[in-house]
Amino acid sequence: MTSSGSGIRLRFSVDDSTSNANKFTSPSRRPTRVRAKPKKYGDFLDLTPTKQKSYKDISSTDEESDHDLNEAPQKPTALFCDDDVEGQDMFKFKSRHTKHDLHNKVKAAISNSPKASDSPMKTPRKLVHSALLNSPHVKVSEGTPKQVKDIIKKRIINEVDSDSAESDFSGGSSSDFVPEESNHETDSAPSSASSEDEEETQQPKGTVGKAPKTKDSKTKVNDSEYFVTPDNYFMMHSSKKIATSDHTLARLKNLNIDENEAENIELSSEHKSCIDNLCQTHKQLYNKWLYVMSENFNIILYGIGSKRSLLQQFQKQKLKEFPSIVVNGFFPSLTIKSILETIVIDLLENSSVPSNIGDIVNLIDTQLTENQMDLFLIVHNIDGTMLRNSKAQSTLASLSQIKNVHTIATIDHINAPLLWDHNKLSKFKFTWWDVTTFMPYIEETSYENSLMTHRSGALQLSSLKSVYQSLTSNAKGIFKIIIEYQLENQKQAHYQGLPFKDLYSKCREQFLVSSDLALRAQLTEFLDHKLVKMKRTYDGSENLVIPIDNVLLQQFLEPQIS
Amino acid sequence: MDTTASVSKGVFLFTNGFKKGKGNKKKTGRPLFEKIFLKELWYETYKQNWSYIEQQLQELHHKSYSVLLNDVVDYIKHSSTTENSTLEGVIPSATLLTGVNQPDHVSQFTALIDIIRDEVTPHVALVNSQDAPSIKHLVENTVWQLINGNKALENYDDEVEHISPTKKLRKSQCTMKALKNWYARYESPVKKKPSNQTKKPLVIIIPDFESFNCNVLQDFVMIVSSYVSTMPIVLVFGVATSVSALHKSFPYHVSSKLLIKVFHSHSSAVYMNQVLEDIFLTHTCPFQLSGKAFELLTDVFLFYDFSVTGLIQSIKYCMMEHFYGDNLKSLCCDRDQVEDLIMKFSAEDLENIRQLMSFRPFLEQQDCRTKIKLFEDNNFFREALYQEMDRHHDYLYSFYMCLRLLCVFVKDLPKSMLGRTVREIYTRCSAECVTDTPAFKDCMQLLKFQSQFKLVESIKNALKIINSYLQVVSPVKPLRTSPIKNNLNNMSLNDDLGQNFVKSLRVHLLTFLRQIENANTETTVLTNISPEADANDENVPGNRYKLKEKLLKATRVDRVQSEFEMVRSRFVSYLEDMFSKGLQSARTQPFHEILFFTDVSNVRKHIIGSPRGAVHTALSNPVHYLQCSCCHLPSSDSVIDTLPDVCLAYKLHRECGMYINLYDWLQAFATVLHPDEEDDQRHQHPLTQLRFTRAVAELQFLGFIKSYKRKTDHVMRLTW
Repeated sequence: MTSSGSGIRLRFSVDDSTSNANKFTSPSRRPTRVRAKPKKYGDFLDLTPTKQKSYKDISSTDEESDHDLNEAPQKPTALFCDDDVEGQDMFKFKSRHTKHDLHNKVKAAISNSPKASDSPMKTPRKLVHSALLNSPHVKVSEGTPKQVKDIIKKRIINEVDSDSAESDFSGGSSSDFVPEESNHETDSAPSSASSEDEEETQQPKGTVGKAPKTKDSKTKVNDSEYFVTPDNYFMMHSSKKIATSDHTLARLKNLNIDENEAENIELSSEHKSCIDNLCQTHKQLYNKWLYVMSENFNIILYGIGSKRSLLQQFQKQKLKEFPSIVVNGFFPSLTIKSILETIVIDLLENSSVPSNIGDIVNLIDTQLTENQMDLFLIVHNIDGTMLRNSKAQSTLASLSQIKNVHTIATIDHINAPLLWDHNKLSKFKFTWWDVTTFMPYIEETSYENSLMTHRSGALQLSSLKSVYQSLTSNAKGIFKIIIEYQLENQKQAHYQGLPFKDLYSKCREQFLVSSDLALRAQLTEFLDHKLVKMKRTYDGSENLVIPIDNVLLQQFLEPQIS
Repeated sequence: MDTTASVSKGVFLFTNGFKKGKGNKKKTGRPLFEKIFLKELWYETYKQNWSYIEQQLQELHHKSYSVLLNDVVDYIKHSSTTENSTLEGVIPSATLLTGVNQPDHVSQFTALIDIIRDEVTPHVALVNSQDAPSIKHLVENTVWQLINGNKALENYDDEVEHISPTKKLRKSQCTMKALKNWYARYESPVKKKPSNQTKKPLVIIIPDFESFNCNVLQDFVMIVSSYVSTMPIVLVFGVATSVSALHKSFPYHVSSKLLIKVFHSHSSAVYMNQVLEDIFLTHTCPFQLSGKAFELLTDVFLFYDFSVTGLIQSIKYCMMEHFYGDNLKSLCCDRDQVEDLIMKFSAEDLENIRQLMSFRPFLEQQDCRTKIKLFEDNNFFREALYQEMDRHHDYLYSFYMCLRLLCVFVKDLPKSMLGRTVREIYTRCSAECVTDTPAFKDCMQLLKFQSQFKLVESIKNALKIINSYLQVVSPVKPLRTSPIKNNLNNMSLNDDLGQNFVKSLRVHLLTFLRQIENANTETTVLTNISPEADANDENVPGNRYKLKEKLLKATRVDRVQSEFEMVRSRFVSYLEDMFSKGLQSARTQPFHEILFFTDVSNVRKHIIGSPRGAVHTALSNPVHYLQCSCCHLPSSDSVIDTLPDVCLAYKLHRECGMYINLYDWLQAFATVLHPDEEDDQRHQHPLTQLRFTRAVAELQFLGFIKSYKRKTDHVMRLTW
């Protein structure tokens, strides 16, 4: 009997069909099929004693209903084959992640790596790892007796207490500016690695609502036998607490790396040649793609790695003579309207775009057939943020349905297939091609909303600097006052910003402005550039806030001071 | 420089010299692809075959929909004639329960429109939900289509054009009032000529009822109902779920304006079986799917989409794949073209055929001289090939007939061990020699218990099939040309299948039918005597021992069969013989690769696609794609430093919970990369950080993580 989530779903669809048609199922297949696929998930599950019971009653009720129909559920035979990726690998719940997991993994990786284990001369270095890795908790996860654990737990708690007592003291060995508000980690023991105390600080908090340690170590061992069990999901979400350490990236010295250096990232020569090979094999598909598209199928490319260059090559080599439109789906301010405008106005030279989508599609269809022209629509990332609404997708689907429009699209997001219901899919008529390239997503991730640039704040910082450069010295002074005030006071629970009156008096002290009005004139410039925000409080006074991260401000201030 | 990278634009146009309306129609035109492929032999055959199949589908399509659609059309006709007698303001409406496989409905509704145009009225409007987000759009669209009639949906004939007013209405002017005026003008001249002719109704079709906004439809119905007295309007709703959807979305005051009649359409599974049986599982279909491929496609249908159009597209894809770049496959054609094609083959093509796997067993059957000749003499080989192809067609012919016969005999058996439909039995037969399977033997066993009546019935059905087969093939038969040279005499050929086989089969079945019909069901007198002889012992009551004895004896006595039983067992053994001859698996046939499509795994990837699986494999086991020597992993979970950065970051992130501390993640990342450095130092490398941020950004782009605002420098996992 099936019992995986998908299995059950499949079953339902078939039951529908049997009740509809009552014709095309064959009960005799059941036993052979189950036997034929020992690797399938459902059978696997049946073998495990723990889950057997809970699923038995489900299956028994199913059995009864089957008897009513005098039909047995049909299982797909050819849909799955051995080279499929096991769903379990991708979708299993890990009941509870612990911090040790990451740790153990790293440890295992290091101990496996030939660098560490092969050469005897590197023993001193090995000591370093062991200093890092032989934290008490690693031992715990290896199955320490309970007494030892208790002792260790006590010790940790003590340590943490002492840590928090001297929390204002910054060890400062790792980073020049540890922000004062970070209430933890002062590398009390200089030799101990920071990843060690990350655990220590968090441990007591974590233990409050958490499963006992022994379970953790056990889950580690049984990891390969995990099954989709709803319980685990709820276990995962039961505690609202975030059991991660409080470290911030502020500990890094060179927080803002120039992004242009990204090109320096080098792959090993072997990987380079491998990737080249991969791309070469993909390029051999070009003719086939043309063939497939000529038969009115459309093409969708998936797999890790940027597929832009592959498609650009395709366009260059094969589509020289045909009009084609390239859409960057990852472009953050892309609209479906701009795509339609490009086709209707720029290409087909109409004066305006009709308002109704059906009309647009009809228009494009008739004009393309009139001109006997084939249009190629190349969509990089059809799953891009701006194309994720159903309206955009249905428009694209109806465009792709046109006989003379040929679509090649790429997807990268793991949930991209959820974009299409079966109406859209039947319009798209996709054929799926796995073109894993392992090439870096440079263009795709270059826009501002990606985590990379946001994280380092380089963009914000540089724009801040350039605005600052253009200010008069008086204005610079005013801005500096606001920054300093904010850095000093932001740790307050309800920081409201610098009151205007205070700012005025401070500015007067430094002879930066002579009148209230002059200060306001200066401030409008900041407000225009959104360097500063004006907030009104309950009592009607105006407060000034800089809407930028403290860390960034600190960084900004540093060269100014020096 | 990359021309499609910009910070201000997301759409780029490459006209590549195209200008609208210029005289370069000839240059770009349709044959753009054909330019590339047209010279190829296989492409021609493919085109030919596909157009043949398409045409068949079209026919089947109209045939299978016709019953239902004729009902609907009759209703529309009827309602338009009796319209005057019904209540004021009530719209006659047909509700078509179509089922959930909406992609198929498009064809169904176009067929409906065609029929309505032919038989009832040229004025039909079909409005999809996406074209009618508001009542204004809905009315505009409907009215525009009704007035502009046939041209709106497709290029129908121009005959209506001179009837409709010369001045075209703009879309924004299309209101119900305009429609009313137009209709009054349109009807008046017509009416004068034949006075007895009824008014032509206006049909409005709403194919996807559920996806409309309820309020829009309600308003629309109310508006239309106020015009029904002046114009005969009929509504047709396509409902995917059930009639209750109609009742739910229409409150009483609306539904009271509708006179609803419900029509049920076939379930798509029935339609699928019909398509497969009538078009693809026939000997006339130029392209044969192997059992495995066939199974895949039906599975996709049954478990994923229930869409017959999808199924047909998949078959088309298989066919494209089958033909692509392979001249041998051009032999998948009509029987009478095979000879020409073989003559066209180059030496290289012939060499390719000799490489086929199934050539080898064929070769082994021949004697030594023939073997050498087959290899060296291309002409001889051509002829042999031609003979074999011819035989293959014969084989297909008898195979499909036997398949249908088997289906007739087997489908009503209890437990339906071989399946009930032709397609199920086909998957069995094509995969293995079905007559060797236990299921087949069980079926034959069960046949031996069938009643006379039942057996006669199935034999009659079988004869019907045979007759239809004989009818189909007879015109084809004389086209068989005589062999070019008669030097093939020394080749051993299998006993003939094809038409002779079928003819003898027919004779046999006829005699069996006669015998069975006349056979006496009574067991012979001889058997009747023995129970009588023991009759006097029976009177002793309660003697269990005696009874047991008697029963034992009864089993030991050879039961003498009745005449019917004897005929029946002879018949069944004949069937077994016949099927074992006719239902040999396609794999045993020489050159079956040419006609049968077998490359399932390849097609499966392209039809179904598993983006998530590919991403997972690439990230957890990059060797699978890269084929590099450095990244071999002992298990899929393990981590080494040579992995690509994304993979490394991915693997580490899988060890974390819902939230991930970026700093710790970086730390782990750096530790794996530089295990032998000072702890504090290793994550400070700008390059390491850079690689890490890049990897993280890519993971975010792939949708594994997203930034998390509530705690600084944390990200949230989006997978489990």
